[in-house]
Amino acid sequence: MRRLLPIALVVLVGVALTFTLAERYHHRVLTLVLVWATMGLAWNIISGYAGQTSFGHQAFFGIGAYVTVLLVVTTGLTPWIGMAAGMVAAVVAAVLIGLPTFRLAGIYFALATLAYPLIFRIVMEYLGYQEVPIPMIRDRPAAYMQFRDPRAYDLLALAALGGTLLLSHWIEGSRLGYALRALKANEQAAEAAGVDTFRAKMVAYTLSAAPAAVIGAIYAHAILFVVTPDAVFGVLVIVQTLVVCLVGGVGSKWGPLIGSAIMVPMSETLDATVGDQLPGIQGVVYGAALVLVMLFAPEGIYWRLGALRPARRAVEAPRVSAVAPRIDTTVAGRSPVERGAALLEVRGVSRAFLGLRALDDVSISVRAGEVLGVIGPNGAGKTTLFNVLNGFLLPDAGQVRYRGTPIHGLRPSAICRRGIGRTFQVVRTFPQLTVLDNVMVGAFAHETSPPPARARALAAMAAVGLGRADDVPGALTTLDLRLMELARCLASAPDLILLDEPLAGLARDGVETMAALVRRVRDAGVSVVIIEHTMYAVVQLVDRLIVLDHGRRIAEGRPNDVVRDPAVIEAYLGQRWLRHVEGLRDPC
Amino acid sequence: MSVSDLAQYVVTGLLVGGVYALMSIGLALIFGVMRVVNFAQGDFMMLGMYLTYFLAVVSGVDPLLGALLTIPPFFLVGVGIHRALLVRVTGGGDPQRLMDAQLILTLGLSLIITNGTTMLLTPMPRGIKTAYATQAFAVGPVLLNQARSYAFLLALVLAGVVYVFLTRTDLGKALRAAADDPEAAGYQGIDVRAMHGLAFGVGIALVAAAGGLLATYHPIEPTVAVNFIVLMFVAVVLGGLGSIPGAFAGGLLIGLVQSLTLLVLPFQLQNVGVFITFLLVLYLRPQGLFGQRLRAV
Amino acid sequence: MLKIAGLNVSYGGLHALADVSLEVGEAEFVTIVGPNGAGKTTLLKAIGGGVPPAGGRIEYRGEDIAGRPSHMRARLGIAHVPEGRKVFSSLSVLENLEMGSYRSAARPRRAEGLDSVYGLFPVLRERRAQLAGSLSGGEQQMLAIGRGLMARPDLLLLDEPSQGLGPRIVQIIFEAIAAIRRARRLTILLVEQRVVEALELCDRGYVLETGRVTLVGERDTLLADPRVQRAYLGA
Repeated sequence: MRRLLPIALVVLVGVALTFTLAERYHHRVLTLVLVWATMGLAWNIISGYAGQTSFGHQAFFGIGAYVTVLLVVTTGLTPWIGMAAGMVAAVVAAVLIGLPTFRLAGIYFALATLAYPLIFRIVMEYLGYQEVPIPMIRDRPAAYMQFRDPRAYDLLALAALGGTLLLSHWIEGSRLGYALRALKANEQAAEAAGVDTFRAKMVAYTLSAAPAAVIGAIYAHAILFVVTPDAVFGVLVIVQTLVVCLVGGVGSKWGPLIGSAIMVPMSETLDATVGDQLPGIQGVVYGAALVLVMLFAPEGIYWRLGALRPARRAVEAPRVSAVAPRIDTTVAGRSPVERGAALLEVRGVSRAFLGLRALDDVSISVRAGEVLGVIGPNGAGKTTLFNVLNGFLLPDAGQVRYRGTPIHGLRPSAICRRGIGRTFQVVRTFPQLTVLDNVMVGAFAHETSPPPARARALAAMAAVGLGRADDVPGALTTLDLRLMELARCLASAPDLILLDEPLAGLARDGVETMAALVRRVRDAGVSVVIIEHTMYAVVQLVDRLIVLDHGRRIAEGRPNDVVRDPAVIEAYLGQRWLRHVEGLRDPC
Repeated sequence: MSVSDLAQYVVTGLLVGGVYALMSIGLALIFGVMRVVNFAQGDFMMLGMYLTYFLAVVSGVDPLLGALLTIPPFFLVGVGIHRALLVRVTGGGDPQRLMDAQLILTLGLSLIITNGTTMLLTPMPRGIKTAYATQAFAVGPVLLNQARSYAFLLALVLAGVVYVFLTRTDLGKALRAAADDPEAAGYQGIDVRAMHGLAFGVGIALVAAAGGLLATYHPIEPTVAVNFIVLMFVAVVLGGLGSIPGAFAGGLLIGLVQSLTLLVLPFQLQNVGVFITFLLVLYLRPQGLFGQRLRAV
Repeated sequence: MLKIAGLNVSYGGLHALADVSLEVGEAEFVTIVGPNGAGKTTLLKAIGGGVPPAGGRIEYRGEDIAGRPSHMRARLGIAHVPEGRKVFSSLSVLENLEMGSYRSAARPRRAEGLDSVYGLFPVLRERRAQLAGSLSGGEQQMLAIGRGLMARPDLLLLDEPSQGLGPRIVQIIFEAIAAIRRARRLTILLVEQRVVEALELCDRGYVLETGRVTLVGERDTLLADPRVQRAYLGA
């Protein structure tokens, strides 16, 4: 409850301003500030939190305006209800637009979002709705959202702002909020940690459409009085939205408000004073604001102010006590697999890229309770193998079975939730989240609300011996980063972990810490498959070793046997070395 | 409807498509080398139109020549803007954020140019009066508007010059190398950042020239940019982001689509066909007709 | 000609190279071997300019080039044949070679250079109009080496030329490198995983393990040293 205090304060300030401002013109500015702040907040949900920059959010703004007004004109339905209809229409549109569009990568997504409002605009013009005036209602105008007192519109917009602030606040603290911020920071890592990124994007998109539609309807009644396609679907709408968010700070619920409070009064004043002699001055100011922000403060004022606090430097983390806490990876409804039984089976998996065979008929069996090492020269296909196991790649042929059921073809997040976790060669963090939040993303694979997720995350961190819950990843050493990634993995309660070069970049004592941890993880019942190059450590750490070369499995067995296998020596050092070494031993 | 009617639509579509093709080549060059989607491309075209207009009205220069004369100053403007603005929006890791940042920067630039022009020159539309704008060649049953025909020919010539530049000169090949693999290009001694500036300069110059050509038959006003930027984007995506011959083909195709849309839809909706094509391409074949694989996205 | 002292490089947050020092004399052929993840490619990238060092000196002909961008180093006469070949796939074979001689010192002698490269790798002459992206892996490697030679370099950096190639092609490539060595007065720095072929070609060698130099020696000494195998397989 205490965390809602700032929102309550903002609303109070809004109310105070409503009743202290005298001139009609000032009320108009206040209404506009509130309108654009709300629109910015709506945009922020999909483009700020989730990082999917949309250049077409005005589509929902316009839908809200048009549906509401057209309902008044055609059926006489009060906009208080019509607004709800507009919201529904916008949500439906969001689903229809989002389903195909989120399948597009990066820049294609941004370009596609441009197209929709343009289409709506043209269609509206064609249908004859170039100008739809809102009919003046003589008796009971309030029932039709028509007020003569401008303060009523201020309060209306304030209510919309308050509602959207609450929505944003709720998202920030929910499982969805974690999912969005994770996928914004690193979509692949989020998937591997159990976040269904497509679903998260769709939910965020639909949630962002609703407030946009509501504020569009309010805007039409408070400011426009005559709805034209350009006024609600036009480029100036998205520009205003972008400006207030970029100036104020993207990805924060306060950013749009800060941006709006600065930019809207400024541009309205300019328009009022010199707007006649200098038509287009607003556009120039907004354009200049965008350029300047991108050049000098792309994260926006809110984050800039936050960055003024001195950054913490990387310091060795305090180790947790010697009695290591238990690693708990139980999940309701999932029974443990008997030690020694086959947990993961790879049968005849092949995968090629542009004619190059990265994996060639590979068959591997991972048994419950073992540490299996995968080694091989550069380009042998090891990471490709992990990518297939994990769901990032589809095999061209062959099957992958986990606990007896096939998993090839499932999304990485689904595979994670079934029990396979993964770390990456270069640690993939969510840089803007704290260490604890990073780990919580993994915990949300099975938990649905923050408190149990938090508990699981803290337990995982304790299990790996990582403190520093409130630091950001940027302040961590390489070892601590790897511990964090492992904790995130453990928090998703896996049965099997895929570790991709977990020892890379570590000094001797770091290697020993990680190796000891891997053994403890195995002892707790979690199987481990590990790709590594640091040979002396691998040989001591793993129970079994598999060697890949040119995509084929060329050896398998106990580590000490495998490294002496002539086929393996040949793969690493070349056939000539083998003969050369034999020649050395046997000089005659 | 008869074959000759259809032929008329096709021919008209191709004629305007030629100028679209020239505009799109500029955008494709910038994207191919710098991975920047230049939102302001349409605005530079608009400025090119105005420059051509003033040369015609003040100095009596024929707009076809005027279009060519826009090339040197706009080249310099492009290089200047690259050095002043775009180089500052450089990495910090994530290529996706970088692309967003450049999109927004050029969007801001576009706003400044469009509104600045409105402020200084007023929104009043202007036009250049030439003899050939209202005359047509008759080729069989088909009428070819003279202004559009000359514009088409000049557009082809300029596109041809660009083609020769890119395939026969060291500098042109270096541009393509920098687009293909910037790291490897650096190892050959190619200054990739200078190549970016060059690409931006050429891209802006081309679109300004296209504007000049357009001015022979299209009204000139500050808001003209927004109609054409979408056409350019679609043409470039249709041809394949980063492919220059693709952009050329895309431009011609878009001209055709626009023209043929008039067979079924009224004039105000002529761009709907273009948007639908855009969306279809994005969903069915995002790499376009000749597209390269997109790196780091 | 090339002197590296105390080089430290961080790559993606990991310490890829720690306090690496090595020297390559004029017209010398130096090989660097070592297992995966040892930092060999990072080392070459640091020399070629693809990766900025966090500390240490890189001296080329007496000048510290650590701060210079890669295109400046290329213009000084350093040719980097990168890992994975990185040919310009959308340019033809001939255009790739022409770009190799982009720097002004090499451009006037381009025709001569082409003849020489075609002589070394006849298949490139056959395929000179083909797009580089359509060549096989081995042909692309030949092209990448040829492109490097076109710059008429003083220092040639070869990064794992055998990577991803079958044994027969690798044989051809190494023979070509040996031929280059014999024909020109070139300083060569080769980074490789295949120990014997790489060491046989060289005058001196270094072994790199987890970012550090662990062994240095003359060619014959290293070839006889069993510690080299241990570096790879831990045993």
